[in-house]
Amino acid sequence: MKNQITFIICLLLVSVSSAQLRVNGIVTDKSDTPIFGANVYLEGTYDGSSTDENGKFSFETTETGTQTLVISMLSYESHYEMGDVSYFKDISIQLVEAVNSLNGVTLMAGTFEAGDNSKVSVLKPLDIVTTAGAAGDFVAALQTLPGTTTVNEDGRLFVRGGDASETQVFIDGLRVFQPFNATANNIPTRGRFSPFLFKGITFSTGGYSAEYGQALSSVLLLNTIDVPEQEKTDISIMSVGGGIGHTKIWGNQSLSFNTSYVNLAPYEALIPSNQGVRWNSPYESISGEAVFRNKSDNGIFKLYTGFNHADLDIEQENINFEDFVRFQLTNNNLYFNSSYKHFFKSNWTLTSGASVSWDANDIGLLDNIIDVKETGSHLKLKLKKGFSNRFNLSFGAELFNLDYEETFKAPNDSEFKSNYDDQLVAGFVEGDIFFSNKFAMKLDARVENTSVLDDFSFSPRVSLAYQSSEKGQFSFAYGDFYQNPQNNILGYNQDLEPQKTSHYILNYQYLDNGKTFRVEAYYKDYDNLLKFDTELPQFNSQFNNLGSGYASGLDIFWRDNKSIKNLDYWVSYSYLNTERDFRNFEERATPNFAAKHNLSIITKKWVNKLRSQVGLSYNYASGRPYNNPNTTEFLAEKTKAFNNLSFNWAYLIDQQKILYFSINNVLGFNNINNYQYADTPNVNGVFDRQTIRPAADSFFFVGFFWTISTDKKSNQLDNL
Amino acid sequence: MQKAMDLWSEQKIVEASNMFERIATAEMDNWLPYYYVAMVNTTASFGEKDEKKLKQQLEKAKEYIDIAKNISPDNAEILVQEAMINTAWMAFDSATYGMTLSGKNFQLYKKAAELAPENPRVVFGQAEWNMGAARYFGKDVTPYCMDIKKSLELFATFKPESQFHPNWGQERAEQVVKDCKS
Repeated sequence: MKNQITFIICLLLVSVSSAQLRVNGIVTDKSDTPIFGANVYLEGTYDGSSTDENGKFSFETTETGTQTLVISMLSYESHYEMGDVSYFKDISIQLVEAVNSLNGVTLMAGTFEAGDNSKVSVLKPLDIVTTAGAAGDFVAALQTLPGTTTVNEDGRLFVRGGDASETQVFIDGLRVFQPFNATANNIPTRGRFSPFLFKGITFSTGGYSAEYGQALSSVLLLNTIDVPEQEKTDISIMSVGGGIGHTKIWGNQSLSFNTSYVNLAPYEALIPSNQGVRWNSPYESISGEAVFRNKSDNGIFKLYTGFNHADLDIEQENINFEDFVRFQLTNNNLYFNSSYKHFFKSNWTLTSGASVSWDANDIGLLDNIIDVKETGSHLKLKLKKGFSNRFNLSFGAELFNLDYEETFKAPNDSEFKSNYDDQLVAGFVEGDIFFSNKFAMKLDARVENTSVLDDFSFSPRVSLAYQSSEKGQFSFAYGDFYQNPQNNILGYNQDLEPQKTSHYILNYQYLDNGKTFRVEAYYKDYDNLLKFDTELPQFNSQFNNLGSGYASGLDIFWRDNKSIKNLDYWVSYSYLNTERDFRNFEERATPNFAAKHNLSIITKKWVNKLRSQVGLSYNYASGRPYNNPNTTEFLAEKTKAFNNLSFNWAYLIDQQKILYFSINNVLGFNNINNYQYADTPNVNGVFDRQTIRPAADSFFFVGFFWTISTDKKSNQLDNL
Repeated sequence: MQKAMDLWSEQKIVEASNMFERIATAEMDNWLPYYYVAMVNTTASFGEKDEKKLKQQLEKAKEYIDIAKNISPDNAEILVQEAMINTAWMAFDSATYGMTLSGKNFQLYKKAAELAPENPRVVFGQAEWNMGAARYFGKDVTPYCMDIKKSLELFATFKPESQFHPNWGQERAEQVVKDCKS
C-alpha cells in the first residue's frame, strides 16, 4: 500500500514537472553581443517570449517530447533548434546576420539606377523627367550623370570616351535596335520612348553583367511597368504638338497606349532657327506606343509595341558648297517586344522574350537617294535560381538576327547596293555570391559567335563589393566587352573582327540619410578598333582592325535632398582623359566627342505657396578637340567651352492640370559645336573654315497637361 | 491575444509584436494576429527617425498584411491597414514614395468602400485621405468633413465581431472633425 502511494506521488510529480517545463537561454550575435527583442517560441504553440536587454529569455511550457524552438529576429536569419523540450535549458544561440538587399552590400560598380526602393538609386523616377533642360527626354536627364560627355549636336549618350554607337538600349531585357529618332547632322536627336511607360531605368557606365553584350561602353536598361495603378487618360497640348494616352485595366490585364504628334513648323515660324540652317519642312512625326500586360498567379506577360513615322527637310550650310546642302529624311520604325516571366515554386525563374524591329530610312542628300532598310530581331531565354539568399545563379542564351541593306542612287541613275546578314549566338552565366552582409562577388562569363565575321569571343566579367562601414562601400569591376563594327561598315566589308574593350572600375559610395556621394575611377583599354582610309566609310574604303586606344577618368556624384527644405540638388563632375586611333585618324588623338571636363549642377525646388516646382540646371563642358588642316598637328585645337543654363517651371493649376514652361540656354551662350574646314585650300594656300553652331541657341517649350482619372488626383508631373 | 493587447497598450512594442507573431504561427488560418503584427509595426514606425529601423518595420508590416490578405481576401479592414503602411512610407519620404503610393492608396480605399461602405474605419480613412489633398489645393473640404461626421455615427454604433476584431479610429476621427469646424 505504501509503495502504491509512493508510486502515485511519483507519477504526480512527474506529471507536474512535465506540465511546467522551463525553457531558457541567451541569444547573441556572432560577436557574442546580446540581441534584444528576438522572438523565441516553440513552433506551433503559443509558448514563447522575447529576449531582454541582456539577450536572455525564459518561459514555461506544457509541451513535451520533441519540439522545434524558433528564434527569429529582424535582419537575422531565423534559427531552428530541434530536440526534446527538456534540453532547451540554459542554451545559448548565436544568430547569423541575414544577407538582404536593404542593409547589405550591393554589387553596383558602374551602375546608376532610377527607381523606388533600390539602394543604388541615384535618381528618383520623377527626376528623369523633371530635370530642367531634359524636356521630357529621359536620355537628356541621364546626361546629367557623371561618366557622360555633353555632345550638344548629337543628343545620344557618349560614355567614358566612347562614341554614341557604343551604348546599347534594352527594354525588359531585349535589345532596342533603333532607340533614337532619326535626325539630320548637327540637329540633336531624342529618345524614341516616352518615359511614361517605364518604372525603372538602370544606366550602366561600365562593367555591366554578362547578360548584356554588343556594347563597348554602356548599357541602358528600361523596364516597363508590371501593373498600372489605375485607369486614366492623359492629354497634352504643347507648343510643338500634342498627345493622348490612356490606361485601361480589366482584372489582371491592362493596356496602356500613348500617341503623340510633333510638328516643329509653328515654332519655327515664330522663332526661326537661323544659324547655318534653313528648314524646308521642319521635323514632323507621328508616333504611338502600347503596352499590354497580363499577370497570372505565377507569371507575367508583356507586349510592348512602338511605331514612329518622321519627316524632315532641311538645308544646311557647308563650306565645300556654294549653296546650302539639302537633306531630306523619311523614317519609319516599327518595334515589337514581348516577354514572359514565370516564377516556379522551387525558386527558379524563367524569363523569355523576343523583340523585332523594322526600320526604313529614305534619305535625299543633294541629288542622291539613299535607302536604308534594317531588320533586327532578338530572342532570349534566361533561367535564374536562388539557392539561398547567399547564392544566385542565372544563365541563358540569346540569338540576334540582323539584316541590313543600303541602296545608293546617284543622279546619273547609277546604283550601288551593300548589304549583310548576321546571326549572332550568345550564351551567358552569372553567379552572385554573398559571403556576408559586408562582402559580395559576382562572377560572370559570356560567349558570342557572330556569323558575319565568323568570330568567336569569350568575355569574363567580375565584380566585387565590400561594405567598409554602415554607410560606405567599395566596389570593383572588371570585364571584357566585344561589339561588331557598325552596320554600314559591315555592308562594305565583312573580313573584320569585333572591336574590344576591357573595363577596370573602382568605386566608393557613401549614403547618409538623403545624401549620396560616389566617386568612381576607371580605366578602359580599347583594342581592334576599326580603321579606314577615306573620310567616311564607303564601298571602296580599305578597312582594318588595327586601331586601339584608352580612356581613363574620374566620375564624382553628389546629391543632397535633405539639408535644405524643399530643395533637391545634385552635382556631377567627370574628368576624362582619352586617346584613340580609329576611323581615319592619322595617329592616336583625343576624338572630337571627348571633352576633358564635364560638370552638371541640377537643382529643383518645390514652392508650396505657388504649388510649383521650379528647376534650374547648369551644364559645362570644356572645349572639344577639332582638326585644323592649316597646322601640322592632328586634332590639336580645341573649341571654346560649352555652357548651358536651363530653367523649367511646372505649375499645378489643380490636382490634374499642369502648366509647364521651360527654356534651354536662358542666358543665350553662343556655343560652338565644331568647325568645318574646306576640302581644298584657297588661293592663299589656307583652308577656310566655317563655325558649326547649334541651329538655334535657345529653345522654349510651353505645355498644358491634363490627366483624367477616377481618383482625380494623378497628374503628369512625373512625366514632364 | 489579450496579453499581447496589454503589452501593446503598455508601449512594449517589441514584445507585443513578437507575441502576435507567435499567435500567428500557432493559428495559421486566423488573419487577426497577422493583422496586428502589421498594425503594431506600422504605428510604431510613425515618427521613427532611424531609417534602417523604419524600413525594417514597414517591410515586416507589409509581409504580414500580405499573409493576412491571403487568409482573408476581400477584407476591408486589411485593405485599410495596407493603406496605413503606404501612408507611413509617404510620411517618411514623400518625394520618393508619394507619386507611386498615392494612386495605390486611392485604389485600396476605393475597394474597401465597395466591400464595406458602412465600416467606420473605411469611411474615415478615405475621407481623411481625400481631405489632405483637397486642403493642399485650397479646395473645399466640407464634403469630406461630412464623411467624417458620418464615420463618427458609424463608430458609435459599430459592433466588432469579437473583442479582438479591429475597433479603433474613433478618437482620431473626433480629433480630425475638430479641425473641420475651425
